[in-house]
Amino acid sequence: MSSFRILARVMRRNVQLPVHDFLVPAFFQPSQRCMSSTPKHNAATSPDPSSAPSVAKSKRKPLTKEQREYLSSALRVNQAGELAATLIYTAQTPLLVNAHPHLRPLMCHMYEQEAGHLKTFNSLIAKHRVRPTAFYPVWSVMATGLGWSTALLGREAAMACTEAVETEIGEHYNNQIRALLEMFEQWETEGYEVGAEFRELISTLRRIRDEELEHLDHAVEHDAKKAEPHWLLTNFIRAGCRGAIWASERV
Amino acid sequence: MAPSRAFTRLAALQRARPAACRSSAVPRAYHSYDHPPPPGSFNTAEQAILSAAYRHVPEHGFTQHTLSLGAREAGYLDISTNLLPEGPFSLIRYHLVTQREALAPRSETVFGGGSEKNPGHPPLQVSDKVERLAWERLQGNKDVNHRWQEALAVMAQPTHVPASLRELALLADEIIYLAGDASVDPSWYAKRGALSTVYASSELFMTNDRSPGFGETRQFLRRRLDESARVGSAIGNVAQWVGFTASAGVNVLRSTGVRI
Repeated sequence: MSSFRILARVMRRNVQLPVHDFLVPAFFQPSQRCMSSTPKHNAATSPDPSSAPSVAKSKRKPLTKEQREYLSSALRVNQAGELAATLIYTAQTPLLVNAHPHLRPLMCHMYEQEAGHLKTFNSLIAKHRVRPTAFYPVWSVMATGLGWSTALLGREAAMACTEAVETEIGEHYNNQIRALLEMFEQWETEGYEVGAEFRELISTLRRIRDEELEHLDHAVEHDAKKAEPHWLLTNFIRAGCRGAIWASERV
Repeated sequence: MAPSRAFTRLAALQRARPAACRSSAVPRAYHSYDHPPPPGSFNTAEQAILSAAYRHVPEHGFTQHTLSLGAREAGYLDISTNLLPEGPFSLIRYHLVTQREALAPRSETVFGGGSEKNPGHPPLQVSDKVERLAWERLQGNKDVNHRWQEALAVMAQPTHVPASLRELALLADEIIYLAGDASVDPSWYAKRGALSTVYASSELFMTNDRSPGFGETRQFLRRRLDESARVGSAIGNVAQWVGFTASAGVNVLRSTGVRI
């Protein structure tokens, strides 16, 4: 089967590059996102560090100051991002659905997933005693404004907004997953154990990342690329997202 | 005490210090439940000197003299107090940190009068829990209350203001967390800010309180907390009304066919 050979080659190539190695499970997950023809057993055999059997090591390392700061800022920025996403969809939905009633199930589905993510991060922030971002009201207003104004420009612009936001968010989650895996690897080489809390965190991040990328696919399927100055719109929104991520990580 | 022993102890103190400075500068950050906690705010040598000195505070106040007494008692040279660069302020910080950390293990007892012991009673509200914890913390000042004005004066010195405010913020965060408040929106800041203000003013009130068992301080604390709750709910009501009116207005416009 030629598809298997291609798959094997891709796997080999990815394994050679240590950074891309982390992405292998993502590419081979049987999601709608890419290669929906990917056989399921490939996903099962791909190296998944989070499910590696934990050896009987009872020692766990206290988190360093840098790690605790990284985790606080990661959870803080994720909460802010999901808050903005729910508000963008909330603002877009009435306008879009009014003009294009066939989009109602899609908008409803995407909104519900984002609301679920926001709930997840709200509870994580409360549980781990992380300070929410001080820009909360600012992001609320800006996200509502962004959703409303793109929906006003039409269906294509709204979808281009989703495309830009989800591209940035997917990249952002991938960076976080990579940093966490590096942390785990360091602990494991030093002979420490990774707590169940962190295994759960990383699987949550993976699930959310995949759902965000699914939204990206939906947006492209619904003519995001046909938005009028597509490059201007997406680049503007992506720059805004990066700025918001940068600020929320700090304050 | 043989001088050589004292010197090795001094050397140990000097080695241990940078770590202590680093960890004491950590603000509230990610709290892990299944990894061990990071090292505490004081290293063993500092802990020994400060805990010995702390027993002399009611008599000698938060002073350099108290620190030397503590150092001598813990078996260090008098000069070793120089290794606590903040001098009396480190003693004050020791008081603040130990009293704050003592709240968590006692919180169950503090809430104990609520639902567990009398099943007929409704469970305690978050605001009641906050009041009880703040009162519990104020009672931690009981033994040093007559010296607390000196301490407040030291804490108000410009070099110590940031550390004092951070301790206040950590205390407010601890109380609100232990009370079980899980809000993660801007009210996170409002609640902590309000509690910090109320707690600081109650502490100041307490230094002049001569009533038995500081009963007047508790009344003062309750009044201030009630006031802040009233202001909070008023702001919440106004915000809810504005939000409702705005969305109703938009919906009315939409129903007339305006495409917004």
